[in-house]
Amino acid sequence: MYEAVTAYPVGTSTVSRHAKTAASYGYNGLVVRTRDADYDAEAISDRYGIDIVDAVEITADNPDSVSGSVGNFRAKCTLLLVRGGTNALNRYAVETDRVDVLTRPMAGDGNFNHVLARAAATHGVRVEFDFGPVLRSSGGQRVQALRGLRKLRELVEQYETPYVVSASPTTHLWLRAPRELIAVGEQIGFSAEQIETGLKEWGRLAARNRKRASDSFIEPGVTRGRNTADDQ
Amino acid sequence: MKHLPKYIRPRWRYLAVEIESTPDAEIDRGTFQRELWYAAGNLLGDPGSADADLTVYSFSFADGIGETIIRVRRGETDPARAALACLTAVDGEPVGVRVRGISGTVRACEERYLGRRTRGFQQRHVVFADADRPAFSRDDAVAVSMPTGFVSATELDFE
Repeated sequence: MYEAVTAYPVGTSTVSRHAKTAASYGYNGLVVRTRDADYDAEAISDRYGIDIVDAVEITADNPDSVSGSVGNFRAKCTLLLVRGGTNALNRYAVETDRVDVLTRPMAGDGNFNHVLARAAATHGVRVEFDFGPVLRSSGGQRVQALRGLRKLRELVEQYETPYVVSASPTTHLWLRAPRELIAVGEQIGFSAEQIETGLKEWGRLAARNRKRASDSFIEPGVTRGRNTADDQ
Repeated sequence: MKHLPKYIRPRWRYLAVEIESTPDAEIDRGTFQRELWYAAGNLLGDPGSADADLTVYSFSFADGIGETIIRVRRGETDPARAALACLTAVDGEPVGVRVRGISGTVRACEERYLGRRTRGFQQRHVVFADADRPAFSRDDAVAVSMPTGFVSATELDFE
């Protein structure tokens, strides 16, 4: 299972500190959303035995500037995330094949509907269930976040849209172990399998993208070199 | 009042919980219990919170880490775990919590899951973000004191 974190300088824990805690909580990998984070993925993996995936989370106000960033960063990172939060951004992200994950679709003024859910399934864009506000806010804000999650969940179930789950921590203190997230998920109407699938999906995505970025990959189903059983 | 006969006493489970916060955080049993009940009340509602019970036992916290035992009614451990996960700050200080394990008696809980973490930290100076800064380190975790608050790092960041 993987978790996607915001590291220093945007968050208040460095990647290695996140990795130390995540490894002790039983995660297999860590997705680093922060573009400016400075770290040595290999040294961290060696020390803590956890897979570090470099990602970029694009935050912009309008689809035009997101589009520019997608072109800039697609080749430079393993996972490309686009932060939603307005209807225009959500729509742009789910209709772009080059985007891997649409994060926080329900934050702010953002909304989701059957058209977007279908488009996300067609274009293979994962939508994120952001557990951050459920864990860390209270009162009206949390009620809105829960309402958003419920709507998103109903759409995702109906249209079989792929999804990821994250507690979106900005410090290692806000990381929560998978069992804790599953317990929270069950309280708010998710099934344990859904949360587990959502946490594992980060790892599957990373593995797929790494395979695609390798030299032997030409297009899906076509690779250079001798055919082996696991290429099938 | 006379205590209940053994066969109708409530059955309990004890959660061994490890707590982590910033090096200068001061958390005592009372504040932790209050925040835990708030978290449970907000997530599970009053009935759910009453069902789970969630009483804090044997609380210890010093130098930014601590551990405690939380008593929960048998069969309510999942809601209790969820409520605990929603405890993210005590007195404004961010807090990390994790359930190490669950036992049927306090003694088994202590023996099996608690008391294994290293206590105390070293105060030193490190070069971080282009300046010499005071820091607290324990094992290979280092908390660097910055003007905006603590930044958590590990020894790997200074190699």
